[in-house]
Amino acid sequence: MKHLFLLFFFWGCTLSAQNTKTKQDSITVLDAVELKTIAKSKLETDLKKSVTVDEFLASSNNISFIKRGGYAWEPLLNNMSTERSAITIDGMHVFGACTDKMDPITSYVESNNLSSITIKSGQEGGQQGATVAGSIDLKRKKTMFSDQETWKGAYQTGYEFNNQQFFNLGNVSFSNTKLAADGSISYRKAENYSDGNNDEVNHSQFKKFNTSLGFSYKTSALSAVKIDAIFDVAKDVGYSALPMDLWLSRALITSVSYKQLFEDKTIKLWDSKLYYNTVEHYMDDTTRPENLVHMDMPGWTTTYGLLSKVKLQKDNLSSEIQLNAYDNLSIAEMRMYPQDYSETTMFAYSWPWVTTRYVGLSLNNALDISYNSQLNFGGSLGVHYNYSKYVEFNWIFHPGAPQEKTRLLPSLFANYNVQLNDFDFSIGGGYGHRAPSVSEGYGYYIYNSFDRYDYIGNPDLKNEVSYEANASASYKTEKIKIEGNLNYFYIDNYIIGEILSMGSPMNYQSVGVKGYTSLDYATLFNAALNLEYAITNNLHLNGTVTYAKGQDQDQGNLPFIRPLSYLATLHYQYKNLNFQTSINGDLEQVNYSPQYGEDQTPGYTIWNFSTDYTFRIKNKKTVFQVGVENILNTYYSTYADWGNIPRMGRNVFTSLKINL
Amino acid sequence: MFKPHYVVFSCLLFVILYFATSSCTIDKTDYEDELTTEIPEYIDYEEAVKLSIGNYNISIQALNGTLYTGYNDIRLTVTNSSTNQEVSDVDVTLLPIKTNAINETSSGPHQYHLNYNNENGYYSGYVVFPNKSDVANHWQFYIGITDVYETLTASQDINVAEQSNKNLNMTTFLGHDNDMYYIALVAPQSPKIAENKLVAGIYKYNPPANTSTTFPDPEQFSYSEVENYTLKLDPRMPEPSMGNHSSPNNKDLIQEEDKLYHGVVNYTMTGNWTLNFILINQNGKIVKGTEVPTDFTPGIEGAKSELFIDILF
Repeated sequence: MKHLFLLFFFWGCTLSAQNTKTKQDSITVLDAVELKTIAKSKLETDLKKSVTVDEFLASSNNISFIKRGGYAWEPLLNNMSTERSAITIDGMHVFGACTDKMDPITSYVESNNLSSITIKSGQEGGQQGATVAGSIDLKRKKTMFSDQETWKGAYQTGYEFNNQQFFNLGNVSFSNTKLAADGSISYRKAENYSDGNNDEVNHSQFKKFNTSLGFSYKTSALSAVKIDAIFDVAKDVGYSALPMDLWLSRALITSVSYKQLFEDKTIKLWDSKLYYNTVEHYMDDTTRPENLVHMDMPGWTTTYGLLSKVKLQKDNLSSEIQLNAYDNLSIAEMRMYPQDYSETTMFAYSWPWVTTRYVGLSLNNALDISYNSQLNFGGSLGVHYNYSKYVEFNWIFHPGAPQEKTRLLPSLFANYNVQLNDFDFSIGGGYGHRAPSVSEGYGYYIYNSFDRYDYIGNPDLKNEVSYEANASASYKTEKIKIEGNLNYFYIDNYIIGEILSMGSPMNYQSVGVKGYTSLDYATLFNAALNLEYAITNNLHLNGTVTYAKGQDQDQGNLPFIRPLSYLATLHYQYKNLNFQTSINGDLEQVNYSPQYGEDQTPGYTIWNFSTDYTFRIKNKKTVFQVGVENILNTYYSTYADWGNIPRMGRNVFTSLKINL
Repeated sequence: MFKPHYVVFSCLLFVILYFATSSCTIDKTDYEDELTTEIPEYIDYEEAVKLSIGNYNISIQALNGTLYTGYNDIRLTVTNSSTNQEVSDVDVTLLPIKTNAINETSSGPHQYHLNYNNENGYYSGYVVFPNKSDVANHWQFYIGITDVYETLTASQDINVAEQSNKNLNMTTFLGHDNDMYYIALVAPQSPKIAENKLVAGIYKYNPPANTSTTFPDPEQFSYSEVENYTLKLDPRMPEPSMGNHSSPNNKDLIQEEDKLYHGVVNYTMTGNWTLNFILINQNGKIVKGTEVPTDFTPGIEGAKSELFIDILF
């Protein structure tokens, strides 16, 4: 099977061209480098204008979520967990500080400081760092320099009735010929939500404050420096599916960059960025009196990095070379308190001061073979280094494991794209390695409340090696667009936890100890079919069906693979009024994985409706929206709801956005 | 001219700086400090006892200059007081004796004939004190020196302090073979969350064949290192909430050349641990100790073997 796909891959690489056409507009070509990119430019979904980053990501076909509560969902790209994808903010690597994945990177930004989210599937995302599933790059808002002094702003507020979420988001930007600055500030506060049976789901509240700031200064006609900062605080966040909540998490994400453009040269752009970010995360179990043990579980990560890229363009080839380097230190502690508080506390590291360093050079090329066909190809080579300061923790389960480990992470991809009349076809393949994450390599008694095992990392894990093939076809006319996407991953040394025969649990809720090990291989297949149909000028229908299957070497099912899911949206516009209604749902989960702690999740269907009205207050564009999610108040939980926590029942939401 | 953007951006900058620099967060644990606060580790030998016998001045050194209950590694130097030279060609014997309130005498495992260590230039030996000195229990060292001419003896009152480091705990028990046994932990003094080399001395009391008329008669206070036994090890955390937690990759203690028993204990976190033992003699017979349940029982204190030593770090 593996060889078949290699063959497939090379066939994809060597498909030849017929015609030639040069594109004059360099900007178009530069954009073409990011072809096959699912860039969502407006941070809103079909249904909802004011969305959280999570809700927005959820509207992508490739993304599904593990949900542990009402906040900070873990994005799964191509049905693979966050270890397998490179999640970055403007290309910067940021690492969550929670061993239990309570703080994916997406939880440290807010929709009003992002301009778009770029999702690349598979090895095409290798530019951002070694990956298997692909990359998710959260792009911060940028303000362009302007000839005239310009001053813009937006204010968004809203209320959601189910969880009494109240939010206020504000943006300002200022620009003139020399200076461009933007800032955002936001605050969200939500109480517990209620499920479809109108029962309150305890520990699902959250409070989030986020602010960001960016200053650009034009140093010459073709160059600029930029300073960026994002600061995020979440407090008193409930995780209904976990045995503990969050007391406080904070992230400070900063960067300084220098951009130089070139005119009339092969080199078009040179953009370099130095960045620093630090994340702290403090869990809190004092809200759970039922817990037998009181435990402090703080975590910290600190990352320094460098990004430098040049864009080149000559004739029909455009290239992007990117240097990606970072140094990360991840620390997580656990301190258990005995029932008799006068006794000594019990202490251990769950991440024993693990340093990760990565330096990678990547090359992405877009070659216009003919007026209607392109070849995108490229690759990267990274050096990945780990150092465990307190390696004696790792020696308990893996005596003699090395304190330092250096890995070489190569990656290759190619993709051929051809347009024939109304049809568009593409076929591609990829090959890439990824190193184990800090938890997979060096984690120590990390409690996973999903399968209720304590997880132990293995420093000697082999690289996960992915062979991937993808294909897509679309048909597009003025009225209709149909698009189908397929991808298939064959992953050698697929890392997963398996029950260890030695050791005994440390966390009282757990039932045993699992060690991260490598399966011989695993396979993953994802398919998506999209339909966009303009019934009339004012009436649009969108539909999506996705299917996925993941199997281990023994044809057993992998966990967290989305069952067949569907989404259909009908949109009607009447003057300044928009009406949207959608249904979405999953079928019954057939291919679930009891071996990895899953139970079968029944199917569900949710019906939603919203309407919005655009008007002007003193010449300021204003949009008011009101809608209902889960109109029928269906009680359901999805395949990826941790511990089968029920999702939100009927929710009436309102939002108001004023562009100042 | 009023520039609103300056005000807005200054405010935002202020908010970011304020939150970024406010220090309401938790400090990281100082790991080295975490390990040492509970247990001071002693590495320096200092004089604990000194006395003179005839022409000889004797200095006995122990870790931290203190004799503790449990295992004590002893270094002894003999100096000729007339030449002020250290001597190495005399035989030195050491006999610790405890006298209780009703004048009964007893001792603890010890090395009676001290060996001269050429490399380091001192006589070495060990003493295991089962109890500390107090009003009712009075400890003395009886030291004998034999040179080419004569044997000289003298005694010296000593003070045995309670060992506060539980990692150097000891236990005394009557084996199923009706012999009196002593197990004293020797190392590690300061365990880590890691694989720790666990070292223990295992001794038994040799009851005298005859009653004695002279005092002190070493025959009455004779102990020996047990040979070729195995000390099976099962470390567990006794705290109820830890649910009988144990660790992997531990190794039973077996005797090595230094006569001590060596094994490996893995401590997965700091806190209270119980070392559950089963002592097996050279013929494979259990001398003492019982298997403990391996079930994970959150909320219930784990059962201990009938032979165990509690430690804490």
